[in-house]
Amino acid sequence: MLSRVADSLYWMARNLERSENNARVLDVQLINMLEANDTEVLNRDWEEVLEITASLADYQVQYPNLKSEEIIHYVAFEPGNFNSLVNCMTYARENARATRDIIPEGVWEGLNRFYLELPAVRRNEFTIQEIQNFLNTITMTSMTAQGVIESTMTRGVPYSFIKIGKWLERAEKTARILNVICEKARKEKQGSVNHHYYWLAALRLVNGYDAYIKEFPPKMNAMHVLHFIIEEERFPRSIRYCVDHVMETIRKLEKGEVHHYSERLFHLLETIQQEISDFNLEAMAMEELMGFLDHFQNRCIQVSRIFSETYYLIEPIEIK
Amino acid sequence: MLEHYEMESFFDEMMLAKEQPKPHYEHFYEMLRRFSIDNLHEKNETAQLSFLRKGITFTVYNETVGTERTMPFDFVPIIIPSENWQRIEKGMKQRVKALNLFLEDIYRDQEIIKDGIIPGELVEQNPYYYREQASGLDIPYQNHIFLAGIDLIRDEHGEYRVLEDNLRNPSGLSYVFQNRYVMRQVYPELFFEHAIETLEHQLSELHQALMAYVPANSTSPDNPCAVLLTPGSYNSAYYDHVFLAQQMGIELVEGRDLLVRDDVVYMKTIRGLKRVDIIYRRIDDDFLDPDAFDPKSVLGVRGLLRAYRKGNVAIVNGIGNGVADDKAMYAYVPDMIRYYLDEEPIIPNVETYFLRNEEQRTYVLDHLDELVVKNVGASGGYDMLIGPHAGKEEIAVFREKILEKPNQYIAQPTIKLSRAPAFQKGRFYPCHVDLRVFVMSGQESHVLPGGLSRVALQEGSLVVNSSQGGGGKDTWVLKKRGNGYA
Repeated sequence: MLSRVADSLYWMARNLERSENNARVLDVQLINMLEANDTEVLNRDWEEVLEITASLADYQVQYPNLKSEEIIHYVAFEPGNFNSLVNCMTYARENARATRDIIPEGVWEGLNRFYLELPAVRRNEFTIQEIQNFLNTITMTSMTAQGVIESTMTRGVPYSFIKIGKWLERAEKTARILNVICEKARKEKQGSVNHHYYWLAALRLVNGYDAYIKEFPPKMNAMHVLHFIIEEERFPRSIRYCVDHVMETIRKLEKGEVHHYSERLFHLLETIQQEISDFNLEAMAMEELMGFLDHFQNRCIQVSRIFSETYYLIEPIEIK
Repeated sequence: MLEHYEMESFFDEMMLAKEQPKPHYEHFYEMLRRFSIDNLHEKNETAQLSFLRKGITFTVYNETVGTERTMPFDFVPIIIPSENWQRIEKGMKQRVKALNLFLEDIYRDQEIIKDGIIPGELVEQNPYYYREQASGLDIPYQNHIFLAGIDLIRDEHGEYRVLEDNLRNPSGLSYVFQNRYVMRQVYPELFFEHAIETLEHQLSELHQALMAYVPANSTSPDNPCAVLLTPGSYNSAYYDHVFLAQQMGIELVEGRDLLVRDDVVYMKTIRGLKRVDIIYRRIDDDFLDPDAFDPKSVLGVRGLLRAYRKGNVAIVNGIGNGVADDKAMYAYVPDMIRYYLDEEPIIPNVETYFLRNEEQRTYVLDHLDELVVKNVGASGGYDMLIGPHAGKEEIAVFREKILEKPNQYIAQPTIKLSRAPAFQKGRFYPCHVDLRVFVMSGQESHVLPGGLSRVALQEGSLVVNSSQGGGGKDTWVLKKRGNGYA
């Protein structure tokens, strides 16, 4: 497979996963907004939304105040926000367009349909209902695309690149969400009633609430929640699950062999798996946990870079 | 249904007289009468939407903003009786054969110039003549034209005439297949009781033709690696490229996916470099290789021409084909047919006046309001004067242009292009049509049955180009039958 095509498949999957995740984060916040009545709390919530889906610092350069309409617009539509929903979905479509001869027709048609319907979406003076419908469309588009991929694509090289993109994106986002929530919990006093609310939020933001309450009582125990999101190997959005699946997919791609060109990649993934195995939540202070999550996010960036180098997705520097 | 349809003085593809279809359209006409206008309207909407959803679009650039547009589809097919088609098929093979011999001659000994059939300066001054790059090459089967798109029209007597040869990068083949596909999906009933030539095997013919171009030094002549080289997803014909690559099962590559090392072409894959044998390029000559052509081009591949000249890679369509398909050389194609094949042209040209010739120029300048004037280097319906439809000012502008650069223009009588009914916005009305016929050549030549019927959907318009509001129609070639067309 052409390196350029592999790169497009990888980024199509990442952008689609990013859109879906950011759409959910915004959706969770829209519901919070209806329930909350404390302006201060609400503002802090909005800061977190920006931290998770974009960059709070970038936002503040452009807008001095936190106003919910402006933030919603920024996260959903802002052309200058590299990670806005419209941007991510448009990149995903562009990537799909460049790989039309490889991906199932249904994936392209789904992304194309979303793009064609974009001009009808109101970007100013929207109602909350309209935004929620928009977020729902993104979720459905992403899930339909994943469904078509799962049900029709041969488990070959293109499929692997799509899946690796999805898992890496998801692992990184899960870590980021936890990091932001931990930061918030750290600022609060231990044992405050808000704790229940934080861990519940964490589960909702990673789309793990339904799965969690099937295994644990609905009382939000910080240890249980953190363990579930970081280490639960059966939960497809946990950090461990994503890393294990990236590893498994690369092993299959390489037919179980390690060559000189793939050595670095295998080594890095093994190290990360070891770090997750060594992770001992019970023995950790909040600062340490946050250090672990920061470290893991850097690891994700490293994996992405070395993965791209291994398969020539990045132009090597020309030696003259 | 067609009670208000007026044929006027034009040749109509479908109708013989008011409410009376031609024999080969009788079944279709009968079938049509079973639909209601509302029903047809609804189907029409479904068909247009289907093109948009599938992203079967071309990009129109307006200043810097590109808009993706679909080519409007019209469901009334152009039906061609088998005996007409056989003549067209023969005529197209004859024409492409002569054009290919001309290219081979021009890039070798130029006998046709020495024998005084074609003025040498017409070749020398042609901007698409690449003597240095394309001369004296031993290419597979001495075949320069892998895929030709020949545009045909019919005059007021129904006579087929060649309007234009496209020997560089003719596009539109994907539309032939998609038009048929949508037609079958949305209007299956209309096919009843018609025996038409299928398109099923045409892509495999195309693939076979392409795979025949194994370069002299290929290391895997039995299983050559072919690719389609596209300028990228922002090119207006990108869908055509995607479709053909996908259907032939070859990689769709961009210039940046290829590199030349030691005069061998490779593509960059996730497993390293892979040798490429055959390149079906959809990039114009100028942009192919910055070392050999335009040094500013970023679309092409550095060193590609050297690899080609050494016989390490085949490039189709051949380099330098533009010398044979511009609007000035067009006028000499009938002479080429006589010269190389010793035959009379089966499908005639449209009469053409050369503005370089003083006598002809004087005539043309006196009759600008009756003639069509075209820039020999332009395509897509640009820089063109349609005398009978033009105002005084426009005519004056062209008079200046001609006087300034007489070599740059040719003139032709305004042909009363044939018309066919089109159905848009709930009614039938007559529209001018033409037909692009595709000829594919590898070891042998093969003509795709039918082709792309283009229709000028704007009432009264003569311009069928998709970039200027033209649409497409399905084209049915009827199978030979004993009696009638059932």
